[in-house]
Amino acid sequence: MATDTEVDLTPRLKTDEMLINMGPQHPATHGVLRLILTLDGEIVRHTEPILGHLHRAQEWQGQNRTWFQYQALIDRVDYLSGMFTSWAMARAAEVVDGCEVPERAEYLRVMVSEMNRITSHLLWLGTYLIDLGAMFGFPFYPFREREKLLELFEEIAGQRMMFNYIRIGGVMRNPKDAWLSKLKKFTEEFPDRVDEYEAIVTQNPIFLKRTKGVGILRKELGMDYGITGPSIRASGVNIDLRRTKPYSVYPKLKFDVPVNDRDGDTFDRYIFRIREMRESNEIIKQCLDMLPQGEISGKKQIAGLRVKAGEGFAAVESPRGTLGCYIISNGSDRAYRIKWRNPSFCNLSILPELLKNHPIADVMAIFGSIDVILPDVDR
Amino acid sequence: MRNGAEILKLGTLTITWWCIIFGAVWMACYLVGVAIPMLLSSYESDAARITAETCRALTPIVSVLVFIPINAMFMVLFERRGLAIFTVRLGPNRVGPDGYLQTAADAVKLLFKEDITPNGADAFMFTLAPIVFFAPSIFGAMPLLAAVTNYHELFQIVNLPTGIFFILAASSVPVVGIVMGGWASNNKYSLVGGLRSAAQAISYEIPLVLSLVTVCLLAGSLDVVEIMKQQAGGILNWNILGGGALRGLDSALAHKFATAAPALQDLSEKSFDQILKAAYSEPAAAALGLGAGQESVAGFAACVAVVVLIAAVLIAAGLYMTGACAEINRIPFDLPEAESELVSGYNTEYSGIKFAIFFLAEFTNLFIVASIFAVMFLGGGDCPVPAWLGNMLGGPQIASAINQALSPLIAIKLVDPPTLFAAIWVILKVYGIVFFAVLIRGTLPRFRIDQLMDFGWKRLIPLSLIVFVLVVFAREFVNVHVGS
Repeated sequence: MATDTEVDLTPRLKTDEMLINMGPQHPATHGVLRLILTLDGEIVRHTEPILGHLHRAQEWQGQNRTWFQYQALIDRVDYLSGMFTSWAMARAAEVVDGCEVPERAEYLRVMVSEMNRITSHLLWLGTYLIDLGAMFGFPFYPFREREKLLELFEEIAGQRMMFNYIRIGGVMRNPKDAWLSKLKKFTEEFPDRVDEYEAIVTQNPIFLKRTKGVGILRKELGMDYGITGPSIRASGVNIDLRRTKPYSVYPKLKFDVPVNDRDGDTFDRYIFRIREMRESNEIIKQCLDMLPQGEISGKKQIAGLRVKAGEGFAAVESPRGTLGCYIISNGSDRAYRIKWRNPSFCNLSILPELLKNHPIADVMAIFGSIDVILPDVDR
Repeated sequence: MRNGAEILKLGTLTITWWCIIFGAVWMACYLVGVAIPMLLSSYESDAARITAETCRALTPIVSVLVFIPINAMFMVLFERRGLAIFTVRLGPNRVGPDGYLQTAADAVKLLFKEDITPNGADAFMFTLAPIVFFAPSIFGAMPLLAAVTNYHELFQIVNLPTGIFFILAASSVPVVGIVMGGWASNNKYSLVGGLRSAAQAISYEIPLVLSLVTVCLLAGSLDVVEIMKQQAGGILNWNILGGGALRGLDSALAHKFATAAPALQDLSEKSFDQILKAAYSEPAAAALGLGAGQESVAGFAACVAVVVLIAAVLIAAGLYMTGACAEINRIPFDLPEAESELVSGYNTEYSGIKFAIFFLAEFTNLFIVASIFAVMFLGGGDCPVPAWLGNMLGGPQIASAINQALSPLIAIKLVDPPTLFAAIWVILKVYGIVFFAVLIRGTLPRFRIDQLMDFGWKRLIPLSLIVFVLVVFAREFVNVHVGS
């Protein structure tokens, strides 16, 4: 992950660079990332991320567990957006297997995934503000709404974060009417809550000072590094699998994909996530109106679940970007080979470029703004 | 008011803890300052007399030593519960009844934790740092004690003619402790934190001091007791409202309401105007060298001067609060211990009792800067209600009722009503300011170090100089404390 360093070091006084180890046990690295920073005063000249502290052999485990077991495990890959990891694997398996997914299940998948996108962005918002030094205060407001969504998840999937709800062939459980009406109520009040966050954050002078013009991600550079998700859309690349490679019922839904018209800084990455939350809320509303009756699974959810022999790839648009899953199946009750394409891993690779020549105080402001989940990086 | 219940709980908690703090400090002072000397007075030896005098002289120190730990413990709890209310949480509510003893438990935990000196650390400096950080906040605040107790005879000993100078000098020492701690820890995060603290303290002390100098200029004195006494007589006399610039208005209102009672029809708008004019135009006219015939012009100039003066002093108050927040390393200026960057900054390597001392000192410093604000800008122990309004609201009756009720205690010198009232008002004002600081902490993110320096040197320091000059000129036209 090391990048070339063209460090301009022409000191007039004799100064030394300082090597500083940020992490793996640093309060702000969102897990166990280790960054070796070369500092000139407080300016970062070179960054070397060290990965793998959270490596859990998720791909290997997929080959040693039955499909049914692995479905429950896969939420842990990206623990903040478990619905998407489940969905990516389910879609890949469905591509291999060729089974039909009932329409109601597709709608439910879209609904819970967009809910999950909102919870993920809300958590990002809270922790990002903590990265900026607002240790108390508004970081907790997003958690208020996230809590409501987590309660809805708990009701429908039995779990607050490791859902195991989206299954190969469909979804696990049919929602009750009360659940749907609770969700409807949430979607109605959520835009006001987002206005509340914006009122306190978007206009905050110190927040603007800390984020505007910091960590500018050039469009070309981002494309070279394979950045996806809101981070690259904030830099003006129109890539959103829901639109560019539509899947599930997204073609039937009306929603905007906000795309920036210039190279984005950390503030843009913040504001585009906020806009995405609003769009997700609209999607949920539409799904609630359009939800058809019918079956919820095209495959029997039994322990001996099998996927036909073959290979296939499928990707979904997760809150962090393109989340892809490649599966080779030999028709047995477990996968022959599973390979993940994780957005966090690719997005993290840009970090050394973004941090170059920024003060150490901006390290966390920039690192937080690309929204990386460490288990998703290390798998 | 979605969390009205929580606010109510915070209120009860605050009042309970205030009673505990007051009780403890009061009893300690009484014991050392009154009871022991009274007992000793029955012996007619020199030794007894010297002991009694020593005890009396030690009263301020005893009161501070009792007050600071209990108060810091409460402030931690107050801040945590207050923040919890701002952030839709509950806060600590498990230890003791409704979390009342949370910080006591924390203190015990810290005392029993292992005291670690890291490898390669300079052990002597490492140990000295918390002491250097904490000691000035105890002894620096001594002159304030004389002001906040309404110059009680037991506390007169700690007053200095140059009190505010001493306080400011003492309050700039703790940064040495931070730098020492950061350097001695043998940790890069600590070192960066310590150096940041030094840079920050140097930059923000200037606006802080200039804003206080502005007040001293208004008051014409460096003596905190003197400054406190000048502001007596209600909110219109306080320095935050121009330090007596509104005294004319005050006396006019007093006159109006004093005469209102016997004969209402006597009071025409004209007489009110005349009183106002008398209060403002005469010194202004004298200053401008105008004749008596041009008093309306002079009156206008005086009014402008009053407005300018009040605006300038309000800005000075804001500058003081900003500088003070930076001085004591609170959000948004908590760069020396920026958690998301420097882990915990200068105190990263500290644990156990040494960390507890840092923690204690931090909250004590907050309390002290708040008390400086209360004394310098908010009239110290002065009741905010002016006497004329207080009379209408039945103030004297209430005061005499309280005196009546406390008369047995007054008789044994346990309670001194002026000191009691002053202490109550001071604690209300100081905690109001602390609450404001907590509110800020719950609202703002942290500055970046270069932005902090920009803000300090390019905004605050020029602004404080402008305010200083404005006050210099404006007070020439207004009848402020000096010479009145």
